[in-house]
Amino acid sequence: MAMPILQLKNVWKTFSLGKVKLDVLKGVSLDIYSGDFMSIMGPSGSGKSTCMYIIGFLDVPTKGAVFLQQKNVSEFSQDKLAHIRGRKIGFVFQQFNLLPHLTALENVMLPMIFQKVVEKERETRAKQILASLDLDKRAHHKPGELSGGEQQRVAIARSLANDPDIILADEPTGNLDTTTGKAIMHILKQLHQDKKKTIIVVTHDSIIADYSKRIIRIKDGQFI
Amino acid sequence: MDTTLFKLSIRNLKTRPIRSWLTIIGVVIGVFLIISLLSLSEGIKTAVLQQLRMMGKDLVMVFPGEISDVMVAMTGDLKLSDEDIEAIKKTKGVENVVPMAWKAEVMGYKGEKKTVLIYGNPWKDALEIYKRDMGWQLFQGRWPVPGKREIIVGDVVPKDVFPGMKINTEATIAGKKFEIVGVLKSLGNKQDDSMIGMDLEVFRQITGERKGAQFVLAKTSSTYAADDVVERIKTELQETRKRRRGEDLPSFTVLSSEKITDIVGNIMGIIQVAIFALASIAIIVGGIGIMNTMYTATHERIKEIGVMKAVGAKNTTITMIFLIESGILGFVGGLGGTVLGIGLAKIMELYFQVHPIFYLKASASPWLILFGLLFSFFIGCISGFLPARSASKLNPVDALRYE
Repeated sequence: MAMPILQLKNVWKTFSLGKVKLDVLKGVSLDIYSGDFMSIMGPSGSGKSTCMYIIGFLDVPTKGAVFLQQKNVSEFSQDKLAHIRGRKIGFVFQQFNLLPHLTALENVMLPMIFQKVVEKERETRAKQILASLDLDKRAHHKPGELSGGEQQRVAIARSLANDPDIILADEPTGNLDTTTGKAIMHILKQLHQDKKKTIIVVTHDSIIADYSKRIIRIKDGQFI
Repeated sequence: MDTTLFKLSIRNLKTRPIRSWLTIIGVVIGVFLIISLLSLSEGIKTAVLQQLRMMGKDLVMVFPGEISDVMVAMTGDLKLSDEDIEAIKKTKGVENVVPMAWKAEVMGYKGEKKTVLIYGNPWKDALEIYKRDMGWQLFQGRWPVPGKREIIVGDVVPKDVFPGMKINTEATIAGKKFEIVGVLKSLGNKQDDSMIGMDLEVFRQITGERKGAQFVLAKTSSTYAADDVVERIKTELQETRKRRRGEDLPSFTVLSSEKITDIVGNIMGIIQVAIFALASIAIIVGGIGIMNTMYTATHERIKEIGVMKAVGAKNTTITMIFLIESGILGFVGGLGGTVLGIGLAKIMELYFQVHPIFYLKASASPWLILFGLLFSFFIGCISGFLPARSASKLNPVDALRYE
C-alpha cells in the first residue's frame, strides 16, 4: 500500500487566551495520500482553519506530530518550514491575498523568488501558468483591476508557481458568486485530474465539499 | 546576488512615494550638514595651515601679553620695549631680529582719504626674511629702499582700498608724501593683503611712536633648534624685565613657527570634531525618521508579510526586504545630502573668491563623499534593523488573519 504523503498524528493545538486555555484541535489524526482530493468540512469555530494551517506548515502543533513523506516536520526550523512550504504547498485563500502593488505576473513569480528560481525562468513559467488559466491578457494588471474570479485564478496560478504536490484551498469560493465559484472549483478539479495534484479544500459549504472525493467533517476540534 | 529583492524593495518604496521622499529629506538634511560643514572646515584648515607652512621653520615670534590674549596684544597698546628687543637680539642662537610696529593713520591718495593700518618694518633686515620665509613676492614695481619715504602695498590695496592705485605715484600718510614703489602678490589672506608697509625708521618719525614694537620676528641660526632658542629668549626676557623694572611677570609670548602651526592645527581639529558631533545629531534624527517609516510600513504590511511567508518567504528574506528598503532610504538621502553639501561648499568657495576674507577651497575629498554615502546607508540599515526584525518575527497565521 502507498505511503501517505502527509500525516497528522494525534495533533493538538491549544491557544492561551490570558489564563484560559482553548483546545482548538483535540488529537486529530489524518493520512493524506498523493492524488487525494479531499474536503475538510465544518462550521466556523470548528478548528478547520487551524487544521489547514498545520497541514500547510504555517503553524505547528502544540502536541502530536506532522509528517511529510515520513519526515517529522514538527521538528523543523522556521526557515526550513518556510522553504518546504514554498516548495511543496500551494495556498489559495478566501480573500485571494494577492499583493496589491504587484501585477498578476509578478504575484505568480513571487513564490519562485523565494525558491531562488532565476528571473528568466520565473517569467517564462509564470506566463505559462497564467496562460493555462486563460489569464495571459491580464498578466500586467494589478489585482485592483481584476474581477474577483480573475483574482482567485491568479491566486491559483500563484499556488502552482513552484509546481507543488499539494494545493490547500481555504474557502476558495467564499468571496465569489455561485457561477464564479463553480468555475474555480472546476479549475481545482482539473488540476486534480490532469496534473495529479493533491487537493485539500477547507469549507463550510457542502456543495463545494461535494466536488471532492473524500469529505472529512470536523466539529469542536475533532474529526467525526 | 539576485537583484530581485532589491527590485521588490524599490517597488514597495514607490508605492508610498510621499512618505519615502519625506523620510529621505530627513536624511538629506543631516548628511548635507555634515558634508558641507566638514568640507568647508577642512578647506579652512588646509588654507590656514598652508599659510602657516609658508613660514620658515627657523622663525620665532615674540608677542607682548599672554598667548590667551593674542588678540589684545595684536590690537591693544601692549608693546615690547627697546630693551626687550635688545635682549632678544642678544640671545644665543638668534641671527636676526625684525621688530614690527603698526598704527592706524589717515592716508590720502588722489583726493581720497582713508584710515588705514600702517606697518613699520626694518627693511634692511626684514626684506630678506619676508622674501625667504614669509612668501613675499613682487607683483609690480620694486622693493623699497631702507630709510626712504617709500611704501609697498598688499594685493588688495589697489583693488579695494584705493581702487586704481598705481606704482610710482604719490600718497600722503600723516601729512607726509610717500612714493608707492611696489605691489605684492597675494599672501593668501585679506589681512596681510591689505598691508601698507614702510621702513621702521620712517614709521617712527611720522607717527611719533619712537620706542618698541608690537611684534618681533626672530630668525634663528641654523645650528640651533628653534625650540631651544624659544626657551632661551623667554629666559632672557624674564631676566631683562626683572633687572630693569623689578617685575617678573611673563607678560610676553614666545612661539616657534612650528608650534603655532601645531596649535592652529589642533584648534581646527577640535572644531571639526565639534562640527561632526553636532551634524551627527542631525543624521541620527534622520535615522529615527527612517525607523518610524519602517515601523509604519511593517504595521501596514502585516498581511502582506503573512502572504509572503505562506508562499515560502523565510524570516531572513523578510528581514532582507525591509533592510534593503531602509538602506535605500538612507543611501538616497546620503546621495542627496552629499550632492547638496558639496554644492553649498562650492558656492561658498566661489563667494570667498569674490569677497576674499581668506582664500578658501572647499575640500570635498573622495573619502568624505564615500564616508557620506556609506555612513547614511549604514544609518539606514541600523534604523531599519528593529522594524525588519519585528516584521520577520511575525507569526504567519496571525499575520494572515490580520485585517
